Amino acid sequence: MLGNYLKIAVKVLLRRKFFTFISLFGISVSLLVLLVTAALLDHVFAPHAPEVRSDRTLGMYMISMQGPHASGNSQPGYGFLDRWVRPMAGMAEVETVSIFRGAQRRLSYVDGRRIESYLKQTDGEFWRVYSFDFLEGGPFLPDDEKNARAVAVINETTRQRFFGGAPAVGRGLTVDGQRFRVVGVVKDVPFLRFLSFSDIWVPTSTSRSQAYRTDWRGDFQAVLLARDRSGFPAIKRELAARLRQAEKQMPERDLFDHIYGGADTLFEATARALLSDGMRETHPEKLLALMLTGMAFFLLLPTLNLVNINLSRILERSSEIGVRKAFGASSGALIGQLVIENVVLTLIGGAIGLVLAAAVLAGINASGLVPYAQFALNFRIFLQGLGIALFFGLLSGIYPAWRMSKLRPVQALQGRPM
Amino acid sequence: MIRHALRLIWNRKRSNALILMEIFLSFLVVFVVATLGIFYWDNYRRPLGYDYRDVWGLEVDLRGEAEKGAGFQESEIFERLLREIGSLAPVEAVGAGFSVPYENSTQTESSDESGRLLTYEVNPVTEGIGGVLKIETVRGRWFEPGDAALAWIPVVIDEDLAHAWFGSADPVGRTFRKATANAKERRVIGVVRDFRRSGELSATSNYLLELWRPTAREATLRNILIRLRPGTPAAFEQELLTRLRGVARDADFEVRTLAQRREESFRSRLVPLVIGLVVAAFLLLMVGLGLVGVLWQNLIRRTREVGLRRAAGASRAGVRGQILIEQLLISTLGIALAMILALQLPLFGVTRFVSPEVLAAGLLAAALTIYLLTTVCALYPSWMASRLPPAEALRYE
Repeated sequence: MLGNYLKIAVKVLLRRKFFTFISLFGISVSLLVLLVTAALLDHVFAPHAPEVRSDRTLGMYMISMQGPHASGNSQPGYGFLDRWVRPMAGMAEVETVSIFRGAQRRLSYVDGRRIESYLKQTDGEFWRVYSFDFLEGGPFLPDDEKNARAVAVINETTRQRFFGGAPAVGRGLTVDGQRFRVVGVVKDVPFLRFLSFSDIWVPTSTSRSQAYRTDWRGDFQAVLLARDRSGFPAIKRELAARLRQAEKQMPERDLFDHIYGGADTLFEATARALLSDGMRETHPEKLLALMLTGMAFFLLLPTLNLVNINLSRILERSSEIGVRKAFGASSGALIGQLVIENVVLTLIGGAIGLVLAAAVLAGINASGLVPYAQFALNFRIFLQGLGIALFFGLLSGIYPAWRMSKLRPVQALQGRPM
Repeated sequence: MIRHALRLIWNRKRSNALILMEIFLSFLVVFVVATLGIFYWDNYRRPLGYDYRDVWGLEVDLRGEAEKGAGFQESEIFERLLREIGSLAPVEAVGAGFSVPYENSTQTESSDESGRLLTYEVNPVTEGIGGVLKIETVRGRWFEPGDAALAWIPVVIDEDLAHAWFGSADPVGRTFRKATANAKERRVIGVVRDFRRSGELSATSNYLLELWRPTAREATLRNILIRLRPGTPAAFEQELLTRLRGVARDADFEVRTLAQRREESFRSRLVPLVIGLVVAAFLLLMVGLGLVGVLWQNLIRRTREVGLRRAAGASRAGVRGQILIEQLLISTLGIALAMILALQLPLFGVTRFVSPEVLAAGLLAAALTIYLLTTVCALYPSWMASRLPPAEALRYE
């Protein structure tokens, strides 16, 4: 039965090529847009090297300080994180805690050539939270950070720029007037992995100024690597309790008396920054609902378009339907057949969309718009795309099929539908 | 004629309702993208209030240098840096400010002294900024070297803020206080051209420049701006940094030209617009092709009706006109529905960000686009219909 339906579906598609083209064009372009969006979101939120353990990582990325007359959102400062978040490494649920600064642009000159690189200041634990692919050497250790040793891990591109691609471990590197010894070389990290991204990683204690050690607001972030996801609630509760304690000892008590923030997954942190007032709470389910609504709204126009085309296409086949009805086919069978035809069509369109999306992503990667971009489709996105295509196909197929199944056989055989 | 066309549309209301919905949604898509584009274009053609060309920005952090304990305060080191930069040959002018053009961060204040709540951006600057950014004073005067010793804080406001606060009255000499406790009195000494710090693509905003004095909490300004002689090579950057290191070896410096910042700011605003344009164009193309297909199919099913009209003496042009008018009427209905929805936008406070003129232009552009699209899509099917030989059309069974 199904085999027959598929055979008929292909025949019908080949019969009216203009309609088939219009349908496929609409389906594939709509899915292309959704797939590229999905790939970008997947790139940011799903575990990818070096952030492979992001499914059991919580972070404190932004805080909000509030008082009766003033409020300010910013990244936390090192002084605050070191005193209130670092000790959470002692919890049974926590494997390790790392505190690091956002990557900053720094200039270097090699033989009169100007080189612009990103420099990230981290601690030794950073290399346990994230798993980098080392091409040479290895990470620096917590001990190096404690003793402010001028050591650096660099990426492949930096090795190329400074040393022409020759082995770099043990060699010296001058960045913005500061000299470092290279201890490791890692593969390039994409720019949008913004927690781990940089060109050069050095111990935080090598900063020219040590003033950061007492800051409560600044440009630092902390991540907590949990032993297991089941430890998340305990970690979140502990951090909330610590924030209440910290409020009593704030350095700018004349301005602020409350600190808001939390231990969040990346998605929770995004929801907190986008949707909550003053970072008080996070509602990831609201963000997800918003994204799904956006997707549904985007799909509305392509769906209507497809419904319209399907209606025209099916009405054209009224004599065929009339014959089948006259010989006793039930409405259900007819609806099933027409919906299957439409699903076949959307799946073909989906496949074209998938190929187009791969091409567009490769184009973005090659364009250099995003440094070290490695956008790609993977099995997860493929499944999402398949789901969307099926949903789309069912949605746009059911109404025309229902209309068709209501045809009266006599009229249909006359070729005078409706 | 139109009433007759309306009846024909009503007779086929189910399939026309779907087309109507499609037009309604397409209109909304075009409206959003067009309004954003017109908003940027409208902003772009307005005066900027300063000159970004040949200006370099230098972000400084002097805390490392001050910690060395060589006996210098941050503010002293800062003064020496400014003097050192001013003495370099390619430098025409140097100044400093809390924030710089095209940067994202802002510092705003609000005041209700004018009777209603006004919000404005505040930027503490040194006197030199006027020369660096070529800010034009239209009333009163710009800061002068002696101003630092005044008992009150001199401020300069831009035309926007002057108009919003004081109307057509002369703002020079007016005084007011910051909302926080025991703040010093501020006095307006001049008005400058409308200053749009966020760049050409942003809407006009209220802006206040205040003469900066070092305080315990903020001993230095974060940004130094340097105007260079035109044609200064990029390689000057290395010389500049070497000289700065001579004054403050353990400070952090980051050089970025305003032209670079401008490009980044443009990109961050235009990339979403371009993506929106491309997606909207594809959606419209899809809708257009779909419309051609549906109209064509509809006409095949109306062959006998067309044949009858032709046999009864209707001209080809008459048949073409009928199809076109029907399509235009459906478009008008869809556009009218969407317009009713879009006109509710001011209720949600959208006009605070986008002026009513820009919204109106967006509506107009969207309406024209949809009319153009639907007319073009109806042309070929209507031509096909008018070419049907009447005899054959009538015979069709």
